[in-house]
Amino acid sequence: MAMQALTRCNAGQATAGRNDMAVLTVKDLRVRYSAKGPEILKGIDFEVEDDDFLAIIGPSGAGKSTLIRCVNRLVEPSGGSIHLLGEDVCSLNARALRGLRRNVGMIFQEFNLINRMSVMDNVLSGRLGYTGNIRSLFRAFPRKDVEQALYYLDRVGLSDHINKRADELSGGQRQRVGIARALMQAPKLLLLDEPTSALDPKISREVMALIRDIALELKVPALCNIHDVQLAKEFCNRIIGLQDGYKKFDGATDTLRDSDLDDIYAMEVL
Amino acid sequence: MAATDVNPTALSLQADLRRKRFLKMGLIWAIVLFFVAWCVQGTIIEDTDWARVGGRSGVLGSIGRYLTLDWGLLPELLIPTLETFMMACVGTVVGCFFSLPVAWLGAANVTPSKMILYPLGRFLMVLSRSVHEIVWALIFVSAVGLGALPGILAIAMRSVGFISKITAEAIENIDAKPVEAIRAVGGNQFQVMYYGILPQIYPVVLATVIFEWDINIRRSAVMGLVGAGGLGLLFFRQMNSFNYGGVSMVILAILLLIVLGEVISHYLRKAVI
Repeated sequence: MAMQALTRCNAGQATAGRNDMAVLTVKDLRVRYSAKGPEILKGIDFEVEDDDFLAIIGPSGAGKSTLIRCVNRLVEPSGGSIHLLGEDVCSLNARALRGLRRNVGMIFQEFNLINRMSVMDNVLSGRLGYTGNIRSLFRAFPRKDVEQALYYLDRVGLSDHINKRADELSGGQRQRVGIARALMQAPKLLLLDEPTSALDPKISREVMALIRDIALELKVPALCNIHDVQLAKEFCNRIIGLQDGYKKFDGATDTLRDSDLDDIYAMEVL
Repeated sequence: MAATDVNPTALSLQADLRRKRFLKMGLIWAIVLFFVAWCVQGTIIEDTDWARVGGRSGVLGSIGRYLTLDWGLLPELLIPTLETFMMACVGTVVGCFFSLPVAWLGAANVTPSKMILYPLGRFLMVLSRSVHEIVWALIFVSAVGLGALPGILAIAMRSVGFISKITAEAIENIDAKPVEAIRAVGGNQFQVMYYGILPQIYPVVLATVIFEWDINIRRSAVMGLVGAGGLGLLFFRQMNSFNYGGVSMVILAILLLIVLGEVISHYLRKAVI
């Protein structure tokens, strides 16, 4: 069984290797939160191609969130390398890192909106990486940003809620605000950290469909943490399985078998 | 089981426990009473001028002198009352201004240096609160001379402690998720604070500032006792010239001002929250 997973792993890398234009290349990624603490990620390798909608599945505590946060260095890796859009993420200084982060849209499990601000201001905050301090201070975003925000708010179906406060919206609506905010960055990669796990099943499906459609429309690859295997199978073209900091599976969605799932989720039975 | 069937040893044990508890409580109360009696003996009985209290003019007579209000003082009250009010307002604003950097240093999750600046911020908070406003006023009167300015500075210094402490605590208790989002879109340090932190703390900070302003009206009313302007100065002069009716007038003016402050802060707080 392990052999099977391993060979499929290699196969995955071989297919990835045929295209040299990988948006994201992660090699031997290791993370330790403190010097004496346990290693959360124990040498992860994978690539994201420019037409991928890649799911990362695995039980709680497998390191999915940590992995996705390493890509834009919200979490500092302690070993390995990450190349994103041709840049070595780990070697960037603070300014260059901000420059890189604004190219990476991120959508969060708990939406991470600014509750006391309006929907519009939340969406516009996606442009902060491109906005100077004086403009930020007065929330005086350029006209084209406001037009863009209105367009995306319409696209995610929130035209009627533009001036409401973010905390007045329902969960599904809040996640749509989060999506619009990420799109405002004109992202070249989307990071999705459990975008649907705070939502009910029906809304989850709608939100995933919306994200996938927009990603296709804008030709943006996406890397998506998701614990719901059904949703992963339905919406993602490739799947990576994590277990306890190790990569257990990497391949196209239709090659994922029940035995692979048993392997990935083996420890959760306990 | 009937009441007479109880085990006699269990019964005697219960009686024993109860007796012990009774003795213990009696001992504690005896110690408390003795301590209070000792304090009363030391402070009130030995330390009071009983001849004066029991004398002919007596306590009631002395208090009575305050009841004949000196209405002639009315026109002189207006300017010091306004000055007291203004001192409280300006002092609070200046205090807020100094509170922000102190709160920034003294909030564990945003402080620029945990080893040096965090303890410094905490120390400034304690320093501001541990020195009484009258002492601050004395310091500033000797530094910048008489008038409203030392009063304003004293009030500002005294306000920093409370406002910055509450602000720092609010910063420490924020939800980290919006902060993470602003970092993820490529926001710099200023944008993270302005968009990620400020919206979360500003209701708390504003309510605290209004509360502090309310207290500062009280504080600025006594600033004049040490020469730092406002109603206190007038109070001091009336007291020195034994014009008890005038003293009462000043106290009434202070009362009015405080009631006014209370009403205004009530509505302001409602508007904020």
